[in-house]
Amino acid sequence: MDMEASIEHLSRGTLRYVDALLVVLEPYYRSMETAGRTVPLARELGLKHIYGIGNKLRSPQDEEAVRAYCRNHDLQMIAAVPFDENVTEADRTGRAVIDYDAASPIVAELSRVADFLQHEFAVKTVEAGGK
Amino acid sequence: MKIAVSGKGGSGKTTISATLTRLLARRGLPVLAIDGDPNPNLLQALGVGPGVEIESIPRSIVERREDETGATRHVLTRPVAEIIGQYGLKAPDGVTVLVGTRVDHAGAG
Repeated sequence: MDMEASIEHLSRGTLRYVDALLVVLEPYYRSMETAGRTVPLARELGLKHIYGIGNKLRSPQDEEAVRAYCRNHDLQMIAAVPFDENVTEADRTGRAVIDYDAASPIVAELSRVADFLQHEFAVKTVEAGGK
Repeated sequence: MKIAVSGKGGSGKTTISATLTRLLARRGLPVLAIDGDPNPNLLQALGVGPGVEIESIPRSIVERREDETGATRHVLTRPVAEIIGQYGLKAPDGVTVLVGTRVDHAGAG
């Protein structure tokens, strides 16, 4: 069984039907190279909304590494999520990080991603009981 | 809208997907979260308590069909509402979760 091809096949199957792809990028060369492989595949399938999200960033240098990767790969970077100890703590106690501490830095940064997605795709809030 | 999240293993895809899902749901959006990972752990990241079991969606709900141009399309064999009704699990903030088929190593083709 050719795992690599099979993974690519799975990606193709999924990517063909989505509106947007968020590529999570840790500030390490290998992480970015691996994650980046989905990007040409997504482009080839005609996906127009592909965004980079830097994650586990511990320093301005980390953020710049992801920014540089995104610039070089023509990828719009929509978030720089800092390394957040709360993620580990939440995981240890079997909870969602948003329940562990709603004021966590990761939650704050992803709120901005939610803003961006709502705005970019004009997704309207559905009132309870509405259509 | 349908959003896919990709990244290297351990990059934080699950935490980011789960947190974004909860945030969008808190804004009043109806959100369906689908775990496509062969080792599903989206449930915990979404805040579904430990010990909660979920039945994964069987592979048989999707069929590959060729259209007239010879391109393959993936077609659902059952209505979406029915699939969600049977396999969907409620998570906090009104999120619905579905877990994709686990990779069955024993005897998988």
